[in-house]
Amino acid sequence: MAGKKKKKSLMEKKEQRAAYVFLIPAFLGLSLITYIPLLAAMAIGFTDLRTGHFVRNRVLPPPRFVGFDNFVEIFTNPTIDFLNSIGVTVYYALFAVISSVFYSFFIAILLNRKIPGRAILRAIFYLPYILPAAAVMISWHFLLRYEGGLINYFLVNLGFERSHFLSASETVIPSLVMIAVWQCGNLIVIFLAGLQNVPRVYLEAAEIDGANFLKRFRHITVPCMTPIIFFNMLMSLVVSLQVVVPALSVTRGGPGKSSMFMTFLMYHVGFREGDLGKGSAISFIFFILAAILAAILFMTSKSWIFYEEGED
Amino acid sequence: MKIKKILALILTAVMLMSIVTACGSSSDYNCKCDVIQLEFSIWGDESERESTQGALDVFNAMQSDIFVSLVQIPNEQYGERLRTLQTANNMPDCGMIDERTAIGWTREGLIKKIDIYEGQPSRPFAGITFSDGGQPIGYSIGSEVLALWFNRDMFDAAGVPYPPTTLDTAWQWDEFIEVAKLLTLDANGNNLNSPNFDATSIVQYGVYVNQWAWQLEVWALSNGGRWYSEDGTRAVFDDAAIEAMQKVYDLHLVHGVAPFNPAQTDDGWWDSVGAGNVAMCTEGQWATGFTMFSDINYGVGVLPYMKQQANITAGGPVGVFADTKHPEAAATFLRWYSDPESNWAPILDGWVMPNTTDWFTEEAKLTRWIDEVPNRARLDARAFRTAVADVALHPGTVPTGWYYTPGTDQIDRVLIPALVEAANGSKTVKEVIESVRPALEAAVSGN
Repeated sequence: MAGKKKKKSLMEKKEQRAAYVFLIPAFLGLSLITYIPLLAAMAIGFTDLRTGHFVRNRVLPPPRFVGFDNFVEIFTNPTIDFLNSIGVTVYYALFAVISSVFYSFFIAILLNRKIPGRAILRAIFYLPYILPAAAVMISWHFLLRYEGGLINYFLVNLGFERSHFLSASETVIPSLVMIAVWQCGNLIVIFLAGLQNVPRVYLEAAEIDGANFLKRFRHITVPCMTPIIFFNMLMSLVVSLQVVVPALSVTRGGPGKSSMFMTFLMYHVGFREGDLGKGSAISFIFFILAAILAAILFMTSKSWIFYEEGED
Repeated sequence: MKIKKILALILTAVMLMSIVTACGSSSDYNCKCDVIQLEFSIWGDESERESTQGALDVFNAMQSDIFVSLVQIPNEQYGERLRTLQTANNMPDCGMIDERTAIGWTREGLIKKIDIYEGQPSRPFAGITFSDGGQPIGYSIGSEVLALWFNRDMFDAAGVPYPPTTLDTAWQWDEFIEVAKLLTLDANGNNLNSPNFDATSIVQYGVYVNQWAWQLEVWALSNGGRWYSEDGTRAVFDDAAIEAMQKVYDLHLVHGVAPFNPAQTDDGWWDSVGAGNVAMCTEGQWATGFTMFSDINYGVGVLPYMKQQANITAGGPVGVFADTKHPEAAATFLRWYSDPESNWAPILDGWVMPNTTDWFTEEAKLTRWIDEVPNRARLDARAFRTAVADVALHPGTVPTGWYYTPGTDQIDRVLIPALVEAANGSKTVKEVIESVRPALEAAVSGN
């Protein structure tokens, strides 16, 4: 029957019309809240628009098309130094994604075993994820303080040197990654759900054949979990690239420029300093960069994701 | 199917109506059309909202031409929120302005370039007047200077005389360090001069100099240096300024009399004297307000100096926003609101000092806002007069950079994180400043 178009019945046509009508709110919502602003932001990136242009009796000359000037300036203006922000953000994102995925997979494996208090432990590991991000950051700031911080108190009492954690260029990103890892309760839950769907029949067959835990894990659990690992990596990558709370609430992009994340810079330039053109240019490049990193992840996925029933 | 269709149409209609309603203006809601309606925006917490609303209630009751309603915005989002309101053509008529953005916002046209005191017999003193190219563009509603705050009990326990309270007896920087050493104690009660002092178990530091970026400018001036050129067109950060800042960081790095202070957040008071583990700290006059939240036995003295007496003024200004339809009414209200007699609560609570010269020179007025205000009287009103009030009009006290320099908001964005590396000793102040100098210069010049 392929290639032969089936004539739609009256009932089907009516249902189709109803479906379109019901889709209107979602379409309008997506268009107004997502797609139109996205396109507008891209367009604004090619203008010198500022907040001052929205004043009725404005003193600024009318906004004008400036081509790629904003894109050039965000890389050359020393007050912005966007190249540094890209480096810092990518470093943080990759570090956070890899650490979070390893940590959450490990914890999920432990929580998947029949251990006493498993339900409570699952809740404990999930809890950080639902706490308000700014409150979490400020609490960690106090814990990680050089003087009077609880972590340094323990380090000193255990005979180690104090660490500056959030107040030294070398340690700020690892410290922020540690906090991000602590907060990745959602990844643990997703891994747990995946682990419970690993076919028991494979594991039991392997066990009968004499495979030990490590072999079962390496050759059965991990391959079955690769779609989940991919999903968690993708979600974690998107969230990590958008990191802004640590800079907003504690580090202010420092020490030096070592935590001057792209989103923080975009927020500062666009909203605080009112330069909507440059802010949009930053967001446009941010969008492209996120898309490239996601595309790389998708491209590599073909070589390492195992689909039990083949790819669709 | 008919029911489905009708339901779908109703849902669509409701959604479209809600969009249209949301986009519509609500400015005429509850309109008292016979009076001018103004919106006045402030930052601050619930207590500030209450005290400001109290002032507005008085204004609204005393006349029938203008009705002012309050718009409260959280401090940390204030500028961003106002900019967003401007893009939605929903900006308040007037309000408080972030000091760092006052000149930039005026140049951008977000604030009307009008002098609310034009033609008036008196106006706030020059030290708290914002100007652009020599023309006044705004005034702080209260004045502030920096002072040295201390814990009397810690001084008594160490047998050390209290800090000087007059400018002519102020400590020179090295004297200040020597006193701080006597007040830096380990767990066994040994001070830093003792041979038995254990630097790994410090329980009390001698001093905490507030390193929140803008407050460091005072030490540059004290050392004969400058952050900005006098006309506000250049970022200077000369050698004397750099040396002064290094001296401040060396209190921790070299002398060990101050705790590590990365100044990534603005909580100097509550990290030091207010926390009860530091004997002295530098902070603005507004710390008078903080003292009411704890039972520590506070005192106040004058800042120490490096080469010359110096202090800086500060204070949040108010302004008329660009799109108001009633600029004259807004100016009238702001003038009234900026008058200490009208807006007494922040002065009474200790958050600000008055903003006109007469309050600093006429004995009856000085008595009203110092001796008769418990928060200041318990610091020792006489000490407060000489250590704080007299300093406000002293020739060595000059406006902070943001009163005459554009781009100080951008400078903060660059300088605050950069200086953490000087605070932790991984770089010298000179290295830090030279690494960000192009950015500082670009921020001030607007290029």
